[in-house]
Amino acid sequence: MNRLEGRTLALKRAGRRALAPFVMAGDGGLETTLAVLRALDRPEVACVELGLPFSDPIADGPVLQAAADRALGSGTSFEGVLGLVRELRRPGTRGSGLPLAIMSYANPLFVRGIERTCRLLAEAGADALLVPDLPLEEAAELRQAALAAGLCPIFFVSATTTAARAAQAIQASRGFVYAIGRFGVTGASPDPNDSAQEFLQRTRALAGELPLAVGFGIGSASAVRAALREADLAIVGSALVERIQRTHGDAAAKAQAADSFIQELAQGIA
Amino acid sequence: MNGRFGSFGGCYAPETLIATLSELTAAWQQHRGARAFQQELQQLLATFAGRPTPLQHAKNLSRDLGCELWLKREDLLHTGAHKLNNALGQCLLAKTMGKRRVIAETGAGQHGVATAAACAALELECVVYMGTVDAERQRPNVLRMELLGAHVERVEAGQRTLKDAVNAALRDWAGDPLGTHYCLGSALGPHPFPSMVADFQSVIGREAREQMQGLPDVVVACVGGGSNAIGIFSAYLDERGVELVGVEAGGRGPGPGEHAARFAGGAPGMLHGTRTYLLQDAEGQILPTHSVSAGLDYPAVGPQHAELRELGRVTYTSAGDDEAVQAFETLAREEGIIPALESAHALAWVLREKEQLAGRRVLLNLSGRGDKDLETIAGIRRARVQR
Repeated sequence: MNRLEGRTLALKRAGRRALAPFVMAGDGGLETTLAVLRALDRPEVACVELGLPFSDPIADGPVLQAAADRALGSGTSFEGVLGLVRELRRPGTRGSGLPLAIMSYANPLFVRGIERTCRLLAEAGADALLVPDLPLEEAAELRQAALAAGLCPIFFVSATTTAARAAQAIQASRGFVYAIGRFGVTGASPDPNDSAQEFLQRTRALAGELPLAVGFGIGSASAVRAALREADLAIVGSALVERIQRTHGDAAAKAQAADSFIQELAQGIA
Repeated sequence: MNGRFGSFGGCYAPETLIATLSELTAAWQQHRGARAFQQELQQLLATFAGRPTPLQHAKNLSRDLGCELWLKREDLLHTGAHKLNNALGQCLLAKTMGKRRVIAETGAGQHGVATAAACAALELECVVYMGTVDAERQRPNVLRMELLGAHVERVEAGQRTLKDAVNAALRDWAGDPLGTHYCLGSALGPHPFPSMVADFQSVIGREAREQMQGLPDVVVACVGGGSNAIGIFSAYLDERGVELVGVEAGGRGPGPGEHAARFAGGAPGMLHGTRTYLLQDAEGQILPTHSVSAGLDYPAVGPQHAELRELGRVTYTSAGDDEAVQAFETLAREEGIIPALESAHALAWVLREKEQLAGRRVLLNLSGRGDKDLETIAGIRRARVQR
């Protein structure tokens, strides 16, 4: 059981809910990302999703598209992200024990061979892997490579996912299963979907012992509260990325902004 | 059918779309052999689209080149390109499935116009995503789509061409997977699209084979996503004696970002739901592309083409911008036909390979007409005069 799985299962057993923020690696430069990751090492945060930027992120809304473009534009590479994770893991520094899930589209992971990619990520200190354009049917190779390297594979369920398929996704996932809270792409939505609650209840029942995370459209303490009625973890991506990007100043200033936004969101944790 | 073409194809789509893609696969399987659906589609193809399209012996060029050149005149299809075969098939299927809204991506605008026309005929709401660069270079088609009642959504992201329009359409679809059908325009994307689009385009090859006395020696078509090519190739795949040639866009040259020749400069990877040959860098990021023809200006090729190349059944090559423009002008002058710049790439190959084609029967899929390209050609001719 790795760091991330240990953390999410312990929280679930204790009946505690938490946040799972998303940040884009290299948005504002890797130094900024490192400072932000360290700031996110807080008790309300179960784990962080670290996005590897991709040129064509089809599941993402405008905020995360722009973040990926900025990260790629400033020269963020896979090697650079590995270096970032290694630096985060430096013993004795804040964030060295922060559970970290890598979120990436399939192509940048498979380009150098999926086994090698998983090994490099695990060696650097990543704990889990989520791939939004790799549904279960296409994921056997990745899942095997991730498990062999000691990474938790994490799969998605949506409101249109059949019960049988959701059960498979839950069975295949380690650490948590990711419920897509509403139709559409990532990005804060003004009106949380009512039918989402029913879908989350259903998924929660199926998930059993496996923690349930919900994402897409969560960007305020009230949205966190709504999400955590049924889910164990609330994923906040676009809203946090936007907050960090809009904060002027150096890496420390941006990390400070991330820190205060997380405290604001944490008010939604019962 | 699992959507695999050897190691290519598949269904690399976000979870939100999986149920919809399965529903689409099931509906297509159910209706493709059903009499009611086929009768309605045949009726539309005959009376609305104008099928069968003629097969023409290009006498003047045949004489000049010393070969026997036959043109499958998809340029004479309603809305000006082969795209309508697929758009009518998919929109009819969408309507049968109870969808009320259809979205599409378009590069050259031909698929957008075809989908807009099909939606008007079938009384479906239509939204077409088009990169702003393409909307600028294919302005007449934007007006056509709007006249046909479609809403053209201009895409500002990325390179603002076809790839970015596909991204935007996929995002739209994820927002309303139950009520909307995504009418994908080429033999690309997640399963079932590559197989389904090839199926709807196979009418091109079937007709050509019936119309032509005996077999051709060579069949040639341009390859963007590859739907016109697979449409005509499909009738000859089992005829081992027939040489099949696909022509990609060589653009301005072999440098990264200068062309769209996926087989020359690409490697296998996943984009827009399928595993195929892509133009990408060492990090797996998708590279920019260039072609004088918007319809070929795309970083991925249809997965069935990737397999056909691996099997050695089809030879893929490329023609550059200049060659394509010359072929465009040649066909206009010699045969009285203004071709689409996309289709001109196939003719450019024939002109270039004149010697090896001497005495042979060549069947060329003239996939579209060039009205939409007049501004582009006018610009090129102005620049030529100034030089």
